Amino acid sequence: MEGEGIGVMSGARRPRLKARVLGKRVANKVLVYILLAAVGLLAIFPFFWMVSTSLKTVAESSTYPPPLLPAVPQWHDYSDVFNSVPMLTFFRNTVFYSSMVTIGQLVFCSTAAFAFARLRFPGREGLFIVYLATLMIPTAVTLVPSFILMKWFHWLDTIWVMTIPGMFGSAFGTFLLRQFMLGIPRDLDEAATIDGAGLVRIYWQIILPLTGSALTVLGVLTIMTVWNDFTWPLVMLNSSNVMTLTLGLAVFATGGTEEFTNVPLLMAAATMTVAPLIIIFIFAQRYFVRGIALSGFGGR
Amino acid sequence: MALSPAQAAPSNLTPRRAPWRKYLPAYLFLLPNLLGVLVFIAFPVLFALYMSLTNWDGVTTPKFVGLGNFHDLIQDQVFWLGVRNTFIYTFITVPGGVALGLAAALLLYQKVRGLALFRAAMFVPVVTSALAVAVIWKWIFDYDNGLINDVLSLLNFNQVPWLSDPAWALISLAIIGIWQSFGLNAVILLAALEAVPDSLLEAASIDGAGPWSRFWRVRLPLIAPALLFVSINSFIGSFQVFAQAYYMTSGGPDYGTTVLNYLVYQRAFGQNRFGNAAAIGYILFAIIFIVTLLQLRLSRGYVNAVAEAEA
Repeated sequence: MEGEGIGVMSGARRPRLKARVLGKRVANKVLVYILLAAVGLLAIFPFFWMVSTSLKTVAESSTYPPPLLPAVPQWHDYSDVFNSVPMLTFFRNTVFYSSMVTIGQLVFCSTAAFAFARLRFPGREGLFIVYLATLMIPTAVTLVPSFILMKWFHWLDTIWVMTIPGMFGSAFGTFLLRQFMLGIPRDLDEAATIDGAGLVRIYWQIILPLTGSALTVLGVLTIMTVWNDFTWPLVMLNSSNVMTLTLGLAVFATGGTEEFTNVPLLMAAATMTVAPLIIIFIFAQRYFVRGIALSGFGGR
Repeated sequence: MALSPAQAAPSNLTPRRAPWRKYLPAYLFLLPNLLGVLVFIAFPVLFALYMSLTNWDGVTTPKFVGLGNFHDLIQDQVFWLGVRNTFIYTFITVPGGVALGLAAALLLYQKVRGLALFRAAMFVPVVTSALAVAVIWKWIFDYDNGLINDVLSLLNFNQVPWLSDPAWALISLAIIGIWQSFGLNAVILLAALEAVPDSLLEAASIDGAGPWSRFWRVRLPLIAPALLFVSINSFIGSFQVFAQAYYMTSGGPDYGTTVLNYLVYQRAFGQNRFGNAAAIGYILFAIIFIVTLLQLRLSRGYVNAVAEAEA
């Protein structure tokens, strides 16, 4: 197919063949663009539909054939949401929980990673294997006993259940940072030790600054995980004053009437739940992609 | 206080003291995180194991029943429905998500302008919470006024009972599963595609291999490890689906979307059968573990052969 022996063509026939090959290339490129656009649209369209529906009137959202865009954007739905649901509280809670857990993760996972990567102590290898083992445990196993544990601590339905467990850091975070730290050359440590630096200074002034990008990845990943988490808050929380946005959305949709009839209102609530994280994603894409690809997590 | 000779002379520190001092900083660095892992992960894992051997209802004192829960589950029709549903969902979502991801990766590989935009667009479903996705898609799948049925009507097709028929409901969940995961697969596979050395492709081209041949015989084998990773990843994720089954169909209709993760939730928090739920959780874990091992073992032969061919 290729390598048609272009070299043997006579001068007269060459321009036509060149045009044909070029034409084929252009057609290929156009096809690729069309397909990419289709795939991209497939991924984005539900979100577009969510926003579009949120701006329609209730009647419009159930007309047939469905209009692509509302005739007149009904912005009032977005303010109405605040009347029906303590959205601001949910938002405040979610931001609070995400920040606390992320800070805790960054601090304690990095210190633990430093210990695993740089310090020698008895039981290091064994403990690390325990860490790795816990990474394989699905939430189906840990969810119910965690609920009991939180009950014993009297943390159910409080801010503690949403912050303390996460703040101690995770096995995954430590694993991630340890791998990264192992790649930092030890010469730097040694030079600092010769200069009289203690462990804490080595950690703080040498290793930590160099781990910057890994820390950003972990931070972004943690924010996303806490923000999007549904199962944990579902099981652990009950009162709306401690709920997260994600849980609040579900409660809003299923609470009250059997048939939730005001679809645009629901879509407005959904948009507000989803938008902040998408905005963060747009700005920190690189870190999201790297983090999720490494951990294999998704919106779960 | 009078110092004993051992305390007065630093060089005579007893061996029992020195290791403590030496390793203390390391343990201090490690302690908070280790504490968290032990208390919030290791302990629940062990406690779940204990629970699975009792018939606890969360309130009364637990009674040890040995393997009774597992025995009950083997005869439990709903449990087997859960297993069946989870497997069907996984067998649709994983190949679908990987294939679509591969197709998208191949498109992205063509290095068109605006590549970053398309890639970002594909990734948005991945960063959205499963629940929000469920809320959006429940409306799209709505029988009377949802987008899909409206479009089907416009094209003169029959409307589909996406969420009200047990079989279709599971398929609907799988569609959402594919939609939410293909972007992640695409990004990982794209990186793998870009890692294929040009020299190999050129050599194949010189040897007369056409583009189709180059794909099947050169690119595909070389991205096999990434394909394996993406498959295993997808599989583990699919096996733990919950939010969609909970929100869109509550495990119904007629247990049609009762997947194992949902069953654990229902048994524990809906029916107070903690022992039973813990047992299901462990079975789920075992299945994931075994299938992952199988996947690794089965593919090892292939990946090794490729590595040998390369050498």
